[in-house]
Amino acid sequence: MTTSADLPLRGAAAPSVSGVITGEPGAPSEPPRADCVADSAGGLTFDVVPPGRPGAAEAWDAALLLRRRGGRGAPADELRLPLVPAGDGRLRAALPSTVALPEGRWDAFAVSAGGEPERIMPGINDLRSLLDRRPDPERGSVAVRIPYVTKNGNLSVRSWLRAPHAEAGEIHVTEESVSVRGRTFGRAAGPDAVVEARRRGDPETVRTAPVTGEGTRFTFSLSYPELAGPWQGGSEAWDLWLRPAADADAVRIGRLLDDVAEKKHIFTYPSQPLTAPNGPVRVGPYYTLDNDLSVRVAEDRSQDAAE
Amino acid sequence: MGTLRDSELRGRMHISFLIHNAYGIGGTIRTTYNLARSLADHHDVEIVSVFRHRDTPVFEPGPGVRLRHLVDIRKDSPSYEGEDPAYLRRSKAFPVAEGRYKQYNELTDRRIAEHLRSVEADIVVGTRPGLNVHLARDTRRGPVLVGQEHLTLDSHSTRLRRDLRDLYPRLDAVTTVTEADAEAYRRGLRLPGVRIEAVPNSVPEPGVEPADGTGKWVVAAGRLARVKRYDLLIKAFQQVVADRPDWRLRIYGGGAEKDKLRALIDRLGLYNHVYLMGPANPLDPEWAKGSIGAVTSSLESFGMTIVEAMRCGLPVVATDCPHGPGEIIANGVDGRLVPPGNADAVAGALLELINDDALRRQMGRAALKDSARFDPSQVAGRYETLFRELAARGGTRGGLRGRLRTSVQRSRGALLGGAYAARAALRGGHTA
Repeated sequence: MTTSADLPLRGAAAPSVSGVITGEPGAPSEPPRADCVADSAGGLTFDVVPPGRPGAAEAWDAALLLRRRGGRGAPADELRLPLVPAGDGRLRAALPSTVALPEGRWDAFAVSAGGEPERIMPGINDLRSLLDRRPDPERGSVAVRIPYVTKNGNLSVRSWLRAPHAEAGEIHVTEESVSVRGRTFGRAAGPDAVVEARRRGDPETVRTAPVTGEGTRFTFSLSYPELAGPWQGGSEAWDLWLRPAADADAVRIGRLLDDVAEKKHIFTYPSQPLTAPNGPVRVGPYYTLDNDLSVRVAEDRSQDAAE
Repeated sequence: MGTLRDSELRGRMHISFLIHNAYGIGGTIRTTYNLARSLADHHDVEIVSVFRHRDTPVFEPGPGVRLRHLVDIRKDSPSYEGEDPAYLRRSKAFPVAEGRYKQYNELTDRRIAEHLRSVEADIVVGTRPGLNVHLARDTRRGPVLVGQEHLTLDSHSTRLRRDLRDLYPRLDAVTTVTEADAEAYRRGLRLPGVRIEAVPNSVPEPGVEPADGTGKWVVAAGRLARVKRYDLLIKAFQQVVADRPDWRLRIYGGGAEKDKLRALIDRLGLYNHVYLMGPANPLDPEWAKGSIGAVTSSLESFGMTIVEAMRCGLPVVATDCPHGPGEIIANGVDGRLVPPGNADAVAGALLELINDDALRRQMGRAALKDSARFDPSQVAGRYETLFRELAARGGTRGGLRGRLRTSVQRSRGALLGGAYAARAALRGGHTA
């Protein structure tokens, strides 16, 4: 498979060639559109419908360019996949699971020879094989790519690459604690495994709790009063890490193995009212914008209002 | 043009749709585009949009379908008409009791009337009651007039129903989306000489492979509105989880009930099993991730999501509410119908399909097959037949074969129109 490192980054800085990408003068410029199919191994296939003009497909000596958002244009921040005719005037690009895509948000562009990269609009994303994905836990790593539609209506791909990985599953909240079940990929939780709650922005403050492991499964429970203890005000976050053994590196706990690119507002859990030393708070688990698991301790406005 | 000669009956028809706003999002727009696109394979089809609020329509009207507007309300357009004095004066022609009355005005009165007095079409189709009223009053002699009802008669106020009773006799046909509503029109409005016909909404073949029935997901989709009764579905799902914790539920859509539903999910402790997914477009790939569809509404004018799910190969468990579900689902064959408002019954039917893999897959295959009748080509075919038959008997207000009936019809129409005018005068308006 070809990666951007093997190809000159032509096009990125080249001037737009009218008539190839933007169409006839005066014609409405319709952006390319791509349907996307995911396979259960983590590979993606893009079927690109070039702008609807006769001959457009032929003119597309083309590539699908994935550009990492926030990247600085370094070779590692771009991945170029050849687009080959797939019948019906469509062009196909494949991103096999074997090609590494570093973690991040990758914007999808279509590039034709000498043309400027053009943002791709989403078509149909068929991601059913990502649902309830069960990669082989014996493999030391997990690679996840989820195509999604950005706020501006463009196609991007969210990528995670974790080796090893701790996948969160069912979460149960009680009045004073949260318990989490999950699975490890890579290194299983040993007898001295712990979960570390690290107070964000305050690396010195860590709370730990024991982890029960059985094969690749793990469970743990975190006490809310412990996390609410140091609360100073506003909204504070505790990031959850699994340390499988005393001598092992800690692994960020996240939920990655499905088709939902952004879990934060979909996988939500009740928060519990609690009285912290510094006032009333609400405590509850949540997924970050990177789909990692954290616990939020936040000022309880409802109790304020009630007082 | 008037009547079509026999030789022309088999030929191309010129069909003109009149729609509130073809540039927005909504079921009527989508279904009108589906129909127009299919009809355009063999006919000249135009869609005339009363309003235009954006440059490009949200949905693609399709090749061969001409789209134009009557009133431009794009603020940044050189031909913006939103501040025209006539635009700011209340409508005198649009029925006051119609849901969209406030958006209509003297400018729309005039533009719609001008359009219909000169329309070059064999068939003119109105897509909501207020526009059907315009069709009845303003269209020149000749074209066949078809008024579509996308909601239901019983959803209209008494006052609107009275207006429709007065003016619909001037139409050649009224179409509803269900037989139940067609029957309501036949019994409730008595429109002699007007053909009342149920033609369902169309749903195109999805752009994804159908579901294979192996995923342990139930899927629902629609506005998070009270009438959809997602609270009932969530309560039913609590019973499902008690028996089959390996199954989960996804509800797609946004709306006013979201916070309440979220609170219900949390209160019942279902946050590992029931997910509010937010809006999704297109929906087909989301249906295809499920193995069972669920619709627990207290009212469905048609039941578009039932058909959408079936077209993706899902058997649907639906409440047998008015009006659509019972006409879409063959109970026990390609889905399950349960009494409205009964969480136990919903849970029972879901579990029946969850606990019997073979039955679920068999019903899924039946759903796929049975829902093909809603394909745009099939639905357009039914409209085409209706249009041809109406054209053959002559438009209500023109035509040779229809002339005798027409004169009677017209005088009665004029009389009834007079009653409508008298009432309009009482409310301070006048009829054009």
